[in-house]
Amino acid sequence: MLAQTFEEAGLSTVMVTMMPFWAEKMGTPRTLGVEVPFGHTLGMPGDREMQKMIIRAALSLLEQAQQPGAMSEVEVEWPQASDVARKDWQPLEASPIIKMMREQAHARAEGRRQET
Amino acid sequence: MPVDSFKYLPRSIAAYYQTLRVERVDSIPWTPLSKPLNQCRFALVTTAGIYDKAREPPFDAGREKREPMWGDPTYRRIRRDLAQGQIGASHLHINNRDILADVNIVLPVNRFAELEEEGVIGSLAAVNYSLMGYQPNTSEWRARYAPEVAGLLKDEALDAVLLTPA
Repeated sequence: MLAQTFEEAGLSTVMVTMMPFWAEKMGTPRTLGVEVPFGHTLGMPGDREMQKMIIRAALSLLEQAQQPGAMSEVEVEWPQASDVARKDWQPLEASPIIKMMREQAHARAEGRRQET
Repeated sequence: MPVDSFKYLPRSIAAYYQTLRVERVDSIPWTPLSKPLNQCRFALVTTAGIYDKAREPPFDAGREKREPMWGDPTYRRIRRDLAQGQIGASHLHINNRDILADVNIVLPVNRFAELEEEGVIGSLAAVNYSLMGYQPNTSEWRARYAPEVAGLLKDEALDAVLLTPA
């Protein structure tokens, strides 16, 4: 949505995302998909080479895209095992919405338990 | 191999996301790149919820905790020369450890300064922007803050923007 607003204002945008699924659904001018954990859009901390590689791929897309909705991807070799990375990006404390959803699920389960 | 958007999501959240209905615009806005990259003036915009501790307050995590269906729609300015130690992180939905170790993974100020020096890009803006990506309702972004940031970027005669969600 930000990309659309900026593009409408006369800026050429390129978005790097780990969820090209959303970009495709919403319609973003230029999207670079990258398979990395959340919070690590441009790579690992301190890994200048990985960061520059992803950025250069985004700049290439910006230069070469011919029409809105252009999408490309860049392959990244993530140094963590997937199951480790899947936990590691998550916040130390569950977010308020997750807490709320868990409480609601718990309350529903309690309600059902009391009915039986 | 295509990027798996759900690779790092817990299965329950992935399943939930796939049920969400998203409004697609009728036609995607388009501003063709008007000059070679090495003449382009760039800004960086992230929704990683970071801020400059020396100059501005954090995003309102307190209110989000009280109202889990609300996300702070405001923006923060991030100067290109800010030191890593000045970075604060307000996002409640990710582990901010690695961003606090190296801001470049969501807002590549140092990487772009290097690209400017190498002559790959024209320049990096003095001021870049950060917003909070958790927005269950984007109406305030739409109505006020996104246009405001767009206006600020245009005022600086910028050509291109790199956008990076968290």
